[in-house]
Amino acid sequence: MPTVQSFSGLRARSYVFRLPLFTRLILLAIVVLWLVGIQSAWDLRKWGALIPDEMNFFTAYRMNTFPLIHLNLLHALLNLLALTPLLERFESEYGTLTSAAMFFGPLTTIPALAYVFLERVIFRVNTPHVGVPAALGGGDADVQDQPVLRHRDGAGADLDDPLVMAFVTAALIPSTSFLGHLCGVGTGYLFGLGYLKFIAPPEKILRWIEGKLNLLGRLPHYVSVDQKTYGRFGVLPSSSSTARSCRRRPPYISLLLIVVGVAWLFMLPLNDYSRRTYISENALLPGQVHTYFGGSDQNVLRAYRHEISALENKTNTEVNDKLEHMFRSMGLKVGRQNYTYTTSGNTVAGENVYAILQAPRGDATEAIVLVAAWRNVQGEFNRNGLAVALALTRYFKRWSLWSKDIILVVPPDSRAGTQAWVDAYHDSHDSRRVADLPIKGALAIDYPQEERFEGVHIVYDGINGQLPNLDLINSVTNIASGQMGMGSSIQHMFHHNDQYRDRLTCMLRGMVNQGLGHAVGPHSSFIPYHVDAITIQPVGQGWHDEMGLGRLIEGTFRSLNNLLEHLHQSFFFYLLMQKERFVSIGTYLPSAMLIAANFTITAIALWVKTGHAPKTDTTKETKDAKEKNETTDAKKADQKSEKTPASVERELYLPLSLVTGCQFLGFVPLFVFNHAPASLLAPLFVVVTLLSLALPHALSFFLVTTYKPTHQQYQLITSFFLLLLGMFLSTLATLNFSLAFLVGLLATPLTFVRPFPKLPAAGYAYSALLSVLNPGVVVLSAAVATTTLQGSSGLGLGVVGVTPWEAIQKVLEEGAFGWGVVGDVYAAYLLVRLVPCLVGG
Amino acid sequence: MSFQATAGTTGLFVVAAALRLLLFTAFPGLPNLLTGRVEISTPVTSFKRLQEGLFLYNHNVSPYDGGVYHQAPLLLPLFSLLPDPTIYPIFTYILYTLVDLLSANALFKIAESGEGGASRLYSSPRKEKRWSGYVVAALFLFNPFTIATCIGRPTSVFTTCAILHAVAKALSGNIFTSMLSLSFAAYLSMYPLLLLPPMVILAYDRTYNYKAPKSLAQLAGMCTLAVGVSLSLLFLSSYALTGSWEFLSSTYGIQLTLTDLTPNAGLWWYFFTEMFDSFRSFFLGVFWLHLSSYTPALTIRLRQQPLAVITLLLGIFAIFKPYPSIADTSLFLSLVPCFRHVFPLLRYSFVTASVVLYGTFLGPAFYHLWIYAGSGNANFFYAITLVWSLGLSLLVSDLAFAVLRDEWEVERPEMRGKEIRQI
Repeated sequence: MPTVQSFSGLRARSYVFRLPLFTRLILLAIVVLWLVGIQSAWDLRKWGALIPDEMNFFTAYRMNTFPLIHLNLLHALLNLLALTPLLERFESEYGTLTSAAMFFGPLTTIPALAYVFLERVIFRVNTPHVGVPAALGGGDADVQDQPVLRHRDGAGADLDDPLVMAFVTAALIPSTSFLGHLCGVGTGYLFGLGYLKFIAPPEKILRWIEGKLNLLGRLPHYVSVDQKTYGRFGVLPSSSSTARSCRRRPPYISLLLIVVGVAWLFMLPLNDYSRRTYISENALLPGQVHTYFGGSDQNVLRAYRHEISALENKTNTEVNDKLEHMFRSMGLKVGRQNYTYTTSGNTVAGENVYAILQAPRGDATEAIVLVAAWRNVQGEFNRNGLAVALALTRYFKRWSLWSKDIILVVPPDSRAGTQAWVDAYHDSHDSRRVADLPIKGALAIDYPQEERFEGVHIVYDGINGQLPNLDLINSVTNIASGQMGMGSSIQHMFHHNDQYRDRLTCMLRGMVNQGLGHAVGPHSSFIPYHVDAITIQPVGQGWHDEMGLGRLIEGTFRSLNNLLEHLHQSFFFYLLMQKERFVSIGTYLPSAMLIAANFTITAIALWVKTGHAPKTDTTKETKDAKEKNETTDAKKADQKSEKTPASVERELYLPLSLVTGCQFLGFVPLFVFNHAPASLLAPLFVVVTLLSLALPHALSFFLVTTYKPTHQQYQLITSFFLLLLGMFLSTLATLNFSLAFLVGLLATPLTFVRPFPKLPAAGYAYSALLSVLNPGVVVLSAAVATTTLQGSSGLGLGVVGVTPWEAIQKVLEEGAFGWGVVGDVYAAYLLVRLVPCLVGG
Repeated sequence: MSFQATAGTTGLFVVAAALRLLLFTAFPGLPNLLTGRVEISTPVTSFKRLQEGLFLYNHNVSPYDGGVYHQAPLLLPLFSLLPDPTIYPIFTYILYTLVDLLSANALFKIAESGEGGASRLYSSPRKEKRWSGYVVAALFLFNPFTIATCIGRPTSVFTTCAILHAVAKALSGNIFTSMLSLSFAAYLSMYPLLLLPPMVILAYDRTYNYKAPKSLAQLAGMCTLAVGVSLSLLFLSSYALTGSWEFLSSTYGIQLTLTDLTPNAGLWWYFFTEMFDSFRSFFLGVFWLHLSSYTPALTIRLRQQPLAVITLLLGIFAIFKPYPSIADTSLFLSLVPCFRHVFPLLRYSFVTASVVLYGTFLGPAFYHLWIYAGSGNANFFYAITLVWSLGLSLLVSDLAFAVLRDEWEVERPEMRGKEIRQI
């Protein structure tokens, strides 16, 4: 700030030339308005001044214009003198954009409002032509002054300047309002001292605006947000407001993220967020061919059905002998495959039979698979499905247009058999017997009902939540409704009215299925091998017969036959909310990611918190610690307070080892559930649940009594757990969105775990809430890793033999991931219990 | 402390060895699973490729026929001494466990020397705060990356061992043993040659005699000569072994020209799959120039702390070398605890740890999506290698910052504990 003593012409000149943009503009505006004010035709002052009685909604502009208008030349000059250096300093410290925003925003309106309030309510006067302008001069003055002051530690002259100016102005110029100036000065001080920091516009937005408009490049003398100098010293104001806000805001941000994440999901069924499905792969041409399955083939079909009915109660081997005979009589190559799986003390064994129709027109490099399991997933006898498959195969044999091999697989059941066949096919450890061609697509028929049907139900969920390419589902839907005139449905929504509610239900059902990640049909086993597969189930009472189903499959096979490469164009990650409406990953992923992010944010916040031990906390903790243990903890706390408050060394060993230990503990139930015999599963489940409820209490008791961890360590433990949880969830979200979302949602209370020092009851209530959630999560975990069946048997709802594919499934990466998550949730409960227990006890 | 430590290391080594052997034997599928992971096995270190080379070598065919084997020829007689790993895998397991223990032993000596906190020319004001060799060795031995590397059995563990021994010997003043060790490392994977300048300075500082100071140039000449002679001997014996100079182009040539573009945790492969052939040689030059430019720069800037130079360089190699794997990361991470005293100065430790963790978990997930599920593509995996490299480079730059800040606070004691910002 130029003072009289140090004044020199050269410096003043360079100072004027270096004035930043906004300062120049304001100065210019003041001068111009003063010039305008000279004429008498239009009373500028009356228009723009801050006159308390005239303030209403429509004259609110006065709150912004008053600083720029002055009474006379002297007033304008004085204000210019006061304003220039201060505004210049403010601008170079905070950036042009901030200054503009603050000038037209809070820093003029707040004094204005205060002034109007004082004048009207308290003093009940209406000073005419009130001290319009310098209020701002003063207001801004301190604004600039204060930050500088704080850095300079003193410099009384700076502090006094605006006040002195206000006095001088009040004395020199009659009819300016001293009160108005005081309001400005007061606001300025408040801002300068950091109490009004929250009204400053967020830097990120400013930076964004700046970047978008390239202001720095376009405007001369522009001061960028990044250029600001923090009081012209290289030292950051390290403590105070930013750190404080860092500590206070995260819970709200986390909550906001969760709310937005969930709301996001509920927005998806709206037309604006979902899209209509379309065929992306041009080669498919669904429904473009005539289908000829019909006529005398119906007699063939009836004959096959008759023969199959005769086999209904025969053993697997007898059935396969007969089927082999039938395949051979069609002129197909036949193979048989034995398989045995052992899980949970049960042995599942069986024999698959399959026939290969070699492509008349192809070079035997690719194949399409038709699966007709002897029994479907519910254990019903798939009589019609098998008959259709046989008749179709016989019919296909007559055609010369196949460019891909067609393989008909008849497993004795829908899960283990298909899984064994697909595994053998792809691992080719039995390669002498199975042709080893890449499979382009697989279709399973599940038609146990005897009557005619109304439409087809398409089942598409694969193991571990993987989905087939959307093009395949679209093709079938397209052929069914466009060509055959059948209805088609998904997710057991047979009467879908395409309204919000139905869409949402459909989507949620899909998510639950995906989240459980179990096999829902014979097709499920194909999908992990990157074979797009679906199951078609005829449903309802209608006029379509088996031949219609046959034509549907024929049409689909003709489409698949056209493919030149794997289905890759359309989506692999989607949520279907109606057969013709979907959302793609880009639209739905944010909701799961937001939920995962809330954990990460809290984790980061806790970490930051542990690094900045505030004085109040430390002293309080010292008290607490002294009460409990007078020696060690107090020493630690003392050491802490001796150090600079900016950074505190963190004690990492205990938190790290605890977190790692708990993570590994999560594997124990996984191992137990996968290796225990089925009969023991239900009691084991109860035991594990009880243990998981008791363990946190026990562990926290153990910790408190032996290690006497500090407050910081608790926060670190929480931080690490939440960090890991966030990480597992976001990893999981890329693999299985629904599971990540569901687990994330169940784990959200963990974010808000806080010690309740004042209200032990609240602490207990919260832990009770978490305990209520716990069994739910454990059931879910059981469902994730060992599939629903085990979970339900564990609950004693229905004892179902554990099927073998689970054994395979658990090996899969996803299951492991699921367990990682669950282990984490599980472990995180421990910590949840720790904090309230400590504080409560 | 020292006698306790020696007593302790035996226990530590036993536990670490037991853990490895347990993992090897309890999960028989694990070694082969990890051997196949691209994060562990690179084309120049893969155990599978080594077996291919071994097979050819044992059948009197040049191991480099077929373009699968890209590793040093002297590994072949070593492994052909062992029984066939497919039938008696236990001998291989024991060998790799032993190599890990040897590395840990070297690391123990490095940490015990206290060179991290106080070198000849510089003594940190924080040097009292340090971890004993026991802790540092334990951190290395129980680092999940090290364990995964050991079980995945890439040949990079030999390089790791050689580098650590070179440092340890340089610290104890055995200049020629150190140089011999460094030559072995360079012979096995070439890039350790870039560690020669800081290693010479380290050796010089540790053998410095205040009464009769030798000149650095003289020692550097001797060291270079020693490395040159031992490398030539190694090359000659390799020539005698394979009967041709083909191994030079098949081992070092591959690293220089990056002809094998198998995905890995590094940054090169994706870049060069996208590259037009006409620009290939230019960018190869640029990449190698970039990699090697750090050596002189860091050596000059951190002249007072040669061990810090070596550590930082190893971190940089783990990011920017042509075929990096988590073995390189574990080598870098093993030396970082020697700088315990500057840990309070690290600014991004939490961010770094989070990013590296995210990279560790998302990497296999995205690789799975790309290769197995087919629902992702190469960009997924590349994106995550970028994240991984970002995490490592954060650590490297943060460590460099902390070391420099430590030096700076000796010059400007009044700035201790204040946050600074470059303007």
